[in-house]
Amino acid sequence: MGEIIELGLNRVEGDLEVKIEVQDGRIEDAWCIGTMYRGFEQILQGRDATDGAVLTPRICGICGTAHQYVAVTAIEHALQCEVAPNAIRARNLCLMAEETQSDSRHTFLMFTVDFCNPRYADHPLRAEVEESFAMLSGKAYRGVLEHTKNILKVVAIIGGQWPHANFMVPGGVTSRLTVGNLVRLRTLIDSYQKWYEQDILGCSLERWSENRTFDDVLAWVEASESHRKSPMGLFIRFARSIGLETLGLGEGNLLSYGSGYDPERWRPPYGAPQTMRAPGFFDAETKQLEAFDHQHIEEHIKHSWFVGYAGGRHPIDGMTVPEYDPDGSRYTWAKAPRYKGKVCESGPLAELFTAGDPLATSLFTMQGSNAFSRQFVRLHRPTLTLMAMRKTLDELFAHAAEPYIVPVDDVVEGTGVGLGSAARGALAHWVRFKKGKIESYQIITPTGWNASPRGSDDKRGHWEQSLVGTVVKDLENPIELGHIVRSHDACLVCTVHVLDTDKRMRFGL
Amino acid sequence: MAILCAENPSLHDTLTNYNVDLLWHPSLSTATPRELEATIERICAGEQELTVLCVEGAIALGPDGTGMFDSMFGEAKMDIIKRLADRAQFVIAMGTCAAFGGVSAAGCNPTDSVGLQFRQSDPGGLLDPSWRSAGGLPVINVAGCPAHPSSMVRTLVAALLGAPVELDPLNRPAEFFSTTVHRGCTRNEYHEYNVEEKAFGGDGCLFINLGCQGPTTQAICNTELWNGESSKTRAGAPCIGCTAPNFPKPQNLLVTLKVGPIPLSLPLGVKRAKYMAYKGLARDAAPERLQPTAPQAKTAATATAEEVDNG
Repeated sequence: MGEIIELGLNRVEGDLEVKIEVQDGRIEDAWCIGTMYRGFEQILQGRDATDGAVLTPRICGICGTAHQYVAVTAIEHALQCEVAPNAIRARNLCLMAEETQSDSRHTFLMFTVDFCNPRYADHPLRAEVEESFAMLSGKAYRGVLEHTKNILKVVAIIGGQWPHANFMVPGGVTSRLTVGNLVRLRTLIDSYQKWYEQDILGCSLERWSENRTFDDVLAWVEASESHRKSPMGLFIRFARSIGLETLGLGEGNLLSYGSGYDPERWRPPYGAPQTMRAPGFFDAETKQLEAFDHQHIEEHIKHSWFVGYAGGRHPIDGMTVPEYDPDGSRYTWAKAPRYKGKVCESGPLAELFTAGDPLATSLFTMQGSNAFSRQFVRLHRPTLTLMAMRKTLDELFAHAAEPYIVPVDDVVEGTGVGLGSAARGALAHWVRFKKGKIESYQIITPTGWNASPRGSDDKRGHWEQSLVGTVVKDLENPIELGHIVRSHDACLVCTVHVLDTDKRMRFGL
Repeated sequence: MAILCAENPSLHDTLTNYNVDLLWHPSLSTATPRELEATIERICAGEQELTVLCVEGAIALGPDGTGMFDSMFGEAKMDIIKRLADRAQFVIAMGTCAAFGGVSAAGCNPTDSVGLQFRQSDPGGLLDPSWRSAGGLPVINVAGCPAHPSSMVRTLVAALLGAPVELDPLNRPAEFFSTTVHRGCTRNEYHEYNVEEKAFGGDGCLFINLGCQGPTTQAICNTELWNGESSKTRAGAPCIGCTAPNFPKPQNLLVTLKVGPIPLSLPLGVKRAKYMAYKGLARDAAPERLQPTAPQAKTAATATAEEVDNG
């Protein structure tokens, strides 16, 4: 038995502590502990049906658009109502703007600042890294602060504000985009793309899109000085020099619900998600990419501070009766979601892999999932997203005269699921309505998958497994752990669970 | 994250131009949590100056008064915040949750959440109503969900400069909370002539039917535009009253509660009888060019959605 150490982590959104067991500097076992409980889903119980779509964006200051998108999708699913195709396009544009700013902010405000850690003080690339990535003063850092602000104006023009807009309503969106608005949106996308090309990639999106395999990427780095010196080039060179690709290997099961509904194909009865980026489940054991079906999701509570059932339950049948028990084997507020009983990883790598992106596929096939591949994909994804935003905008120009909303009836009874993707991975809301009110609301967030505790079978959750085997050189400065957890863009703010009415938790304090 | 969208000053300029030594920010700091623990101890021991303490998020008092719904280093965050607040020159509640409890305190308030110095509209939250920071002010409530970036950075800089910050009765900086969201709304002409939408998607006013709280909510959303571009009401979405101490109201946020044809909550300071008379006349005076434009539902509240699965 090694030494047991509890560590907090910074630059993750929300409240996470990791408990690790260390022997001779090697992590032998790990437990992820969500230390905050907010009861968001309980707050929604008994409220009017549409309030879920207004209040759930407030779960998270980063992915509010994604929460609103899936919340309103769940209502539309329950209603079986039509949605105006232009509204889907407008929602997708906002979702993509939010995603692409998050990719850059996460990478350069939260991830690469670690490259300036004292651990790497003597690294031969130190000066270059400082110049580009240092907090507040780095060139890439400052560029991200400036330009992510601008791309978020897309959400403001369509939805009024970012964060926490509430312009998505059942059947459509509350705004209509004039041709003048569309031109303004185009200039914002143009200027963000120009910055990304010049100051992040060091090449055009077209040139970057020629990189179909990771070998192409390695050749790209050496192909010109502007590639090598760019933040993308520097990220790759530095990350590989410190062996980021050897850190944080998980189980290798990837899960995505798909991202951005297809305005032409997403129609009642709303069966399997018809999305621009296809959903899927990759089973590391069978090496098969399978079609996704949310009925295979179950949540387990054996190791969480909840009681009430054994084994797993689908979220729509889930129950959440809290019971704090600091002395027992349970250790977190997070439940343990499983797909077909398996631990899964969610995030941009999973999203692009199941969608069949050649570069993500090549990287995953060559190296599997690790801290490098996850973060690299976060830098690669904006190149695809910007092109998709441009295409969506072209469609809005072409359909400028069509409606942005279709009238719908009020929600009375029904069950709905809203599946989608936030920047950091798979996000879903399950909701049951009765007499026009929310009877039950269940949310599984991306971090719910990644920061999962052990399930009923006692197998570790994804991060826990990713941490095991890692050699930590300095427990006072466990930078390896930071790289692994941050490569998942951890967000514990949104690990929310229901506290049933009238059942108060008891703390043994 | 809203503060990253601030302009004039930007967050970067706020930190660099005013020589701010950012002791800790959970999303931005490079210091480790262990270093944070040491910083907190130094502040509490009086060895490290703390000019401004900004708190985001509601204060969870539960369960049973322990505060352990939200802990750090095994200690309730409410206790850490209390210790730090007593050392700070100024304390700013960033957002409605930290100010009044907000969404976290809504409904059955499962975590027994309060604001720093208010429990919704009642004085006294984590801190007593008479509590004052070393700088002589109560907690400065920069309300909003999220707080408007301009009101956040400008209040912060005012505190850093030691400039006088006038507060309203809810301890919000009066400058940013003395006008209504209605002021500057692009739908004002419709409101003026009582041209009201019954469904979303039109150009008309949202106050009478669609839950808009713009005329009763104090915030700068329509005079200092969000992201430099727009506001909820400009995008056709109702103001949901997020700077108010009782946010979110318990009723449907997209529907206006009414007495007869007139909203239960009238624009701030307006008399009901006179308002009714004015609205009747206004509708008759409305010009042709102002008409509701939203597509209308075929039937209202009659359909029953069937249970369906997504398999």
